[in-house]
Amino acid sequence: MHRSLALASLVLALVTTSAARGHDGHDHGAPPPPVSATVAPRADASSADLEMVVVARGGALEILIDRFRDNQPVTDAVVEVDGPAGVVKATAEGGVFRVPAPWAEPGRSVDLAVTVQAGDVVDVLTATLSLPPAEPKPVAGSVVTPAEASETGATMLPDGFGGWGLALAGFAAGLVVAASFRRRAVVATALAGVFLLGLAPGAPTQAAETPRDLAQRFPDGSLFVPKSSQRILGLRTLFTEIADHPTTVELPGRVIPDPDGSGVVQPSLAGRLKPPPGGFPRLGAAVAAGDVLAFVEPAVAAADVTTQHQQARELDQQIALMERRLERYRQITNSITRAQIEDAEVELTGLKARRANLERRERASEALVAPVSGVVAAVAAIAGQIAEPNTIVFRIVDPRRFWVEALAYEAHAFAPRADGRPAGGESFPLAFVGSGLSDRAQAVPVHFSVSGEAKGLRAGQLLTVAATLAETRGGIAVPRAAVLRGANGRSLVWEHTNPERFVPREVRVEPLDGERVLIIAGVDAGRRIVTGGAELLNQIR
Amino acid sequence: MIRPSTFFAALALAALVSAAPAAAHQPRLGPHGGALVDAGSHHHAELVADGSATVVVHLSDMADAAVPSTGFKAEAILVVDGKPVRFALEPAEPSRLVGTAPVPVPKGVKGAVRLTGPDGATAQAKF
Repeated sequence: MHRSLALASLVLALVTTSAARGHDGHDHGAPPPPVSATVAPRADASSADLEMVVVARGGALEILIDRFRDNQPVTDAVVEVDGPAGVVKATAEGGVFRVPAPWAEPGRSVDLAVTVQAGDVVDVLTATLSLPPAEPKPVAGSVVTPAEASETGATMLPDGFGGWGLALAGFAAGLVVAASFRRRAVVATALAGVFLLGLAPGAPTQAAETPRDLAQRFPDGSLFVPKSSQRILGLRTLFTEIADHPTTVELPGRVIPDPDGSGVVQPSLAGRLKPPPGGFPRLGAAVAAGDVLAFVEPAVAAADVTTQHQQARELDQQIALMERRLERYRQITNSITRAQIEDAEVELTGLKARRANLERRERASEALVAPVSGVVAAVAAIAGQIAEPNTIVFRIVDPRRFWVEALAYEAHAFAPRADGRPAGGESFPLAFVGSGLSDRAQAVPVHFSVSGEAKGLRAGQLLTVAATLAETRGGIAVPRAAVLRGANGRSLVWEHTNPERFVPREVRVEPLDGERVLIIAGVDAGRRIVTGGAELLNQIR
Repeated sequence: MIRPSTFFAALALAALVSAAPAAAHQPRLGPHGGALVDAGSHHHAELVADGSATVVVHLSDMADAAVPSTGFKAEAILVVDGKPVRFALEPAEPSRLVGTAPVPVPKGVKGAVRLTGPDGATAQAKF
């Protein structure tokens, strides 16, 4: 049992090693071999700007070129291929560049230099395309049969773990095992070895005639994803850089009017509301500071009216008395001091003024004026309505001056800049104004002012404030969607190591802000991390 | 008997062994002051450009010992000023391949050189 395992491993290891390795001490960055017979012969290359995959299929070469850093497909480019047939210009078709390859005979290894001119990027990529030998039907990219596999042995393995070769290995392994146990079981065990090793991997060799490139997962967990599949999955990568990122926190917030740029209109006495000439201002009407928005006719209670009437009669009486007295004084000027006459005159003037005032007070109404310039944000005025003192009749807001009141549940040191994100709206910049020290519902209110004119804001609107904190943290910032859960529950990211290969990397992350997380350990700078389509990549089995 | 798990373990081992590190070569400074890279699996090539139109490629073996260039043919595809230029290189004594580009080639130029050996074997060097 153990010896058979050892033997099988040894055979496989020897065979695959000889196929994958270059010469001693000089590894050429060759990509890992394709995993099964369902993959067409291919070669890849990458430079600092571009990466390329060349696939031999049906007597032609398909060249797929992507940008190196973000995996964005390059579809508009001039591509020339230096191959055995000289310099050939490729035709672009659906994002794939095609070159006829009549020279693509099986078993041949061809050096290709591909010149790419894509906008400002010009590059020469070199690749060596090894075509598998195929005897019966010499078509480029044909499927490998078991017979070929057993004949060509080592070199064929990358294109399909040659079924019959393995079957023989299994047979040998079975013989060894059986011999070590019982003689009688020799035949049975050996046959079982043939079955398990030979048939299981040999099955794909009888698959479709033209190889379909299928994404596959290697036993070590890394993935082979053909470029064409990468484009369908929309895979995008991020070139990692270590930088200091300011920490941000998300706070629930509410739009409030700037206390200096807004006001309320309240009557100071109870009374009946009366529209000014032109009517009450409507919602959204622009008003200037000092504009009369409404009048309040003081409502006088019945008891007050009686008192007033009484006062009036009393005053009338006193005036009459005083007038009489003054008249008398003037007739006897000789026996009366001048001072007495003057006193009586002053008293009479005072009484008359009080009487006149009483009459005017009855008819005077209070004018409600706008305290600030702005837009009428709320109206509670109906003609004839009795308004209590302190009722808010109008609310006036300057639409260019809004604040945001957010609630912070921890004591933070805020940086001067922040972002406000209303639900389903565009985010807008905020400036930190100040934070309170007294708790309100176990939170501290923090004020931000809206920088510039934010369109579509309204007082009372709920939003999320992404507030930047003064402290910074070093690490690699990646979008939250790039970090996935592995089978063991650990966080992992997919690294794009070769043009068609992705390797899972276990990482330790810390939250950075609402959209990004910080990778603290597991990935170095200068790597390519899958950000777009990472979830789909994780589903490949 | 070989259980399926055993088989898969064997496969895993094989895959691990075959997944050789895939680090590309960084060009290093050659003895002639140019970028020295691998050309195929048997040679090293060093490309020397000095701002003139003349481009020299020095051939050496894997141990960086000079290799006679007699019988070799080569073609250079270099990116100069954002445009690819192609020209042939002719062998010169003792281990050089010399060519003249249509435009002056600056130092540290990017591109590739395709070599054809006396035995017809081809190799490429990417700079």
